[in-house]
Amino acid sequence: MPGDRLRRILAELSDGENVWPAARLCAVGPQLTGMKGAGVMLMSDDVPRGSLCSSDEVSQLIEELQYTLGEGPCVDAYQRDTIVSEPDLADPQTPRWFAFTPPVLQAGVRAVFGFPLRVGTVRLGALDLYRDRPGDLSSDQHADALVLADVTARWVLDAQAGAPSGVVAEQLEAGADFHFAVHNAAGIVSVQEGISVTDALIRLRAFAYSHDRLLDDVAQDVIARRLRLG
Amino acid sequence: MTREADVVRSLVEMADTLVDDYDVVDLLTGLTDRCVTLLGVSAAGVMLASPSGSLGLVASSSEAMRLLELFELQAQEGPCLDAYRTGVRVDQEDLRAGYGRWPLFSPAAVRAGFQSAVALPLRLREVTLGALNLFRTTRPPIGEADVIVARAFADLAALSILQHRASAEAQRLNEQLSAALSSRIVIEQAKGVISERAGVDLAEAFARLRGYARNANLPLTAVARAAVDGTLDPRAWTSARG
Repeated sequence: MPGDRLRRILAELSDGENVWPAARLCAVGPQLTGMKGAGVMLMSDDVPRGSLCSSDEVSQLIEELQYTLGEGPCVDAYQRDTIVSEPDLADPQTPRWFAFTPPVLQAGVRAVFGFPLRVGTVRLGALDLYRDRPGDLSSDQHADALVLADVTARWVLDAQAGAPSGVVAEQLEAGADFHFAVHNAAGIVSVQEGISVTDALIRLRAFAYSHDRLLDDVAQDVIARRLRLG
Repeated sequence: MTREADVVRSLVEMADTLVDDYDVVDLLTGLTDRCVTLLGVSAAGVMLASPSGSLGLVASSSEAMRLLELFELQAQEGPCLDAYRTGVRVDQEDLRAGYGRWPLFSPAAVRAGFQSAVALPLRLREVTLGALNLFRTTRPPIGEADVIVARAFADLAALSILQHRASAEAQRLNEQLSAALSSRIVIEQAKGVISERAGVDLAEAFARLRGYARNANLPLTAVARAAVDGTLDPRAWTSARG
């Protein structure tokens, strides 16, 4: 059962229709969180793999620089598995990102924030937000960004599972992902198939979608050892 | 030792763990265990609010599926949700009489064998973080003296969630709550891994995970992460016992 904040964010993302492509995550991100721009960087094995989406040219630059330089808010958020905030790049609290900072400052970025995309042990990348003036996130913006990162993480898993568009929103609305059984089953499948928990979570989803079944029911069958994927 | 001495010792022990870099799930699981051993309750659980505004289970005194499902239901309705929303204690002395109040939760709680329930909000100043839920399988309902002790446990739990009291602002709090709920998912994934490796059920998998963390004096979430990554010798799970 989603909370009020999640419900509001899902409503923004769906825009009346139940379809939201990757671009919509980044397009809606800034207005949802009160920022100037947003981008999503996908990562694995501590290395940026590419950008899922970016809301504008500056966001695109932020993504590209992190991809090339291997440093920046997304890289740190992913590697440290924590929220990274730099409310003033021109006068940073922590001197860091020596190669990344000058070009983004020049592009008009003053504050950047990175939110890890994670589902338990599964880490997929990070959401970054930027603003053209210094300042921290308000607690509301911060909470919105946390929820948006959560939704994005689920979106990435579902997209990789080949889920039909709209299904992510349905699953989130139904609270399917909040069931422990899904995570227990992912652990079981990872051992059975000799794959990562990330891949196991994707396989579970892919199975549920292709058999038109609820994720939670598939998970229950895996736990009861009534069903073996693979 | 008298019960009072046990209670005081528990509070001191919990306060002690706050000094170190402790594990939130571990601490809260210990708290729910203490509720069962020291108070006249049959089961206990702690639910925390995610930044999205929904409640999720972080720790419980038992990993029995029936109990876990009872907490999952409370994302929709139940004493925890009411205590969290209102910020005040919720009592249901007779769960059978509560069918109208919580049409999904009450019958499920009765089926799980419980007769009464109490939920105490976890509060830190003006902010409610979640709730501590106590259940009893027998009559009479949970006594007032026990609720007072549980209240002290709940207050300590609320404090423990914010590691640094000086930075008790909303952002930090959201981050901590989100981290605690994420830790719980790490543990659920690890339970699956261990259950398959050792050929045991999920409750036993949790007991082994916790037993290993205890013996090695490591944070529960770190051990769970290592279990999933495979950086811990998988043979650890075939013999270790909680």
